[in-house]
Amino acid sequence: MMSSDKELNSPRERTATIISKIHAASDVVELIMEINEGREAAMLGSRFSSPLPGQFAHIAVPGSFLRRPLSVAGFDDESGRLRIIVRRAGKGSSALASLPVGSSLNLLFPLGNPFPMELIESFGKVWIVAGGIGLAPLLFAARRASQRRLAVRSFVGFRDDTHVFGVEELEEYGPVSLVVGGVVTERLSEVMDREAPGLIFACGPAPMLGALRLVCAPRGVRAFVSLEERMGCGVGACLVCNCGIKSPDGFAYKRVCADGPVFDISEVGFE
Amino acid sequence: MSEKRFAAKDVLITDLCGVRLKNPLIAASGTFGFGREYDELYDISCWGAISVKGLTLHPRLGNPPSRIAESASGMLNSVGLQNPGVDVFIRDELPWLSARGLVVIANAAGSTEDEYTEVVRRLADSPADIIELNISCPNVKEGGLLFGTSPSCAGAITKAVRRVCRQPLMVKLSPNVSDIAGIARAVEDAGADAVSLINTLTGMLVDTRTRRPVLANVTGGLSGPAIKPVAIRMVRDVSSAVKVPVVGMGGISSGDDVAQFMIAGASAVMIGTANIVDPMAGPRILGEFERFLVEEKIDDLSTLVGSLKAK
Ligand SMILES: Cc1cc2nc3c(=O)[nH]c(=O)nc-3n(C[C@H](O)[C@H](O)[C@H](O)COP(=O)(O)OP(=O)(O)OC[C@H]3O[C@@H](n4cnc5c(N)ncnc54)[C@H](O)[C@@H]3O)c2cc1C
Ligand SMILES: Cc1cc2nc3c(=O)[nH]c(=O)nc-3n(C[C@H](O)[C@H](O)[C@H](O)COP(=O)(O)O)c2cc1C
Ligand code: FES
Repeated sequence: MMSSDKELNSPRERTATIISKIHAASDVVELIMEINEGREAAMLGSRFSSPLPGQFAHIAVPGSFLRRPLSVAGFDDESGRLRIIVRRAGKGSSALASLPVGSSLNLLFPLGNPFPMELIESFGKVWIVAGGIGLAPLLFAARRASQRRLAVRSFVGFRDDTHVFGVEELEEYGPVSLVVGGVVTERLSEVMDREAPGLIFACGPAPMLGALRLVCAPRGVRAFVSLEERMGCGVGACLVCNCGIKSPDGFAYKRVCADGPVFDISEVGFE
Repeated sequence: MSEKRFAAKDVLITDLCGVRLKNPLIAASGTFGFGREYDELYDISCWGAISVKGLTLHPRLGNPPSRIAESASGMLNSVGLQNPGVDVFIRDELPWLSARGLVVIANAAGSTEDEYTEVVRRLADSPADIIELNISCPNVKEGGLLFGTSPSCAGAITKAVRRVCRQPLMVKLSPNVSDIAGIARAVEDAGADAVSLINTLTGMLVDTRTRRPVLANVTGGLSGPAIKPVAIRMVRDVSSAVKVPVVGMGGISSGDDVAQFMIAGASAVMIGTANIVDPMAGPRILGEFERFLVEEKIDDLSTLVGSLKAK
């Protein structure tokens, strides 16, 4: 029954229990959850699927009507433990970050399309470009790349010292350029002028991604970005999460949840 | 007697203007796409029927983001009828849905009388089982709602569409009116075979930091449990004003909610926003409703529909 990769990685509603909680930086909390079999997965008799870097979980947060999309920041295939790194951005994320260890959550997971890890091989190396909480999915991508013995180089920007997280972990995978309070893409373009770039995986605020495109486009550098948009269903049915994408006939909306969240930077609008 | 007698599946069989539904639960338009996404999560043939995303004559891009905002017990959306157009639906989506044995309700939208009639004409020879005329979308400027807010306009568009429509015609009513029963009567007189209600309530939210509306479209449609009491009241008003079947919706998220709408007069119900917050809402609510029937020893749905007692 569950044989193809697609089925193995198909989303299911699951429950998870928070088993540890670490204060990672100002307003940023790292949660480790143990995935219990969702009621549907249990019915189907399937093991939960392994998420890939770039995919996300759509989490029902107590006290909020809609689910909240949060990137998979790590997943241990052996133990089935999921890592989420959450920034207190508003009501729902703050409530999630405030849950005590032992709390149980309902999540829909794994969703969305991953970063194209298989493409890294042909470039020989991957460059991580992250702004703030955008580092969350990229920590997972960097880890998986490094496990495959691919070279990883990272460029990360944070607003100020108190918001820095994940840098030591990134250093395990390769050199890191840390920019605090500045523009991370400036550092990136300096390095690009002396070194052949790898395949770029990026996530961060829209202005950073817009600047990244300006850096990549003239040099013909390939980059994939993970986008954010407000979501409803998270599975592609309600059409509320759309972002503008260039298409053969000009312009189209694509669903961040189901067509993304990872897109080739050359097709993204950034209006 | 054993519970089995009451839980027997044929208790759930519902006749909706001559179309046989295996149960009275219908996925509401716009929250279920064309069914493909949810079919990856569970077998969607458990639904009595599926009302697909609103279809227009030509493809529509929809409104710019943000298109969704959360509010207490509900959400605002301003999708703006994004859809691939009726022809693409008939070619690429409908065959798959029909092959699954699903009862398909084609939700037709437009901005002029000509557009509505042309959409319905193109569906006339298709395997779509029921046409749901959406004259109540609050999210497109020209469209829909204009026709849905006065009895004479609603009657006129229904009459025009009726002429080309080969399937049972259900008209979807807007709650953004002062007399929904009057509009229901007008569309019944014009030849509607059923009415469905309610579409979303127009609303807006403000971001206090930027002092801008949260939705790029400024206003959007409110759905979810927040609108349920309004919807139940309107289902009661409309079902006592017309003879055609009433399909009720608005915030349904449990088996008990289904029963409330049916007691208030709905022959069938649609479930929308519940799918968005709980992807398994369809099978879950069906199970809850079946348990309700067993507990209440109901073996004939017609004894439930419109069974509201005086206070
Ligand atoms: C694919 C994806 C992955 C994400 N990964 C992470 C992550 O790993 N860690 C993390 O901290 N944050 C992540 N985010 C952003 C996170 O979803 C938002 O910060 C969160 O939804 C805000 O909710 P709130 O209730 O705290 O804020 P509010 O502003 O009160 O939220 C109001 C509504 O807007 C939505 N919303 C607000 N900001 C965003 C946003 N930036 N993106 C999407 N929806 C938003 C909320 O979900 C909610 O529906 C991700 C977003 C997406 C789309
Ligand atoms: C995201 C979204 C999109 C919708 N799109 C349509 C549509 O295309 N056509 C239509 O008739 N109703 C549309 N609706 C309205 C629903 O079908 C339903 O009438 C309304 O949401 C109330 O039911 P609910 O509270 O169960 O969602 C939409 C609702 C939502 C939330
Ligand atoms: S959130 Fe529903 S389509 Fe993306």
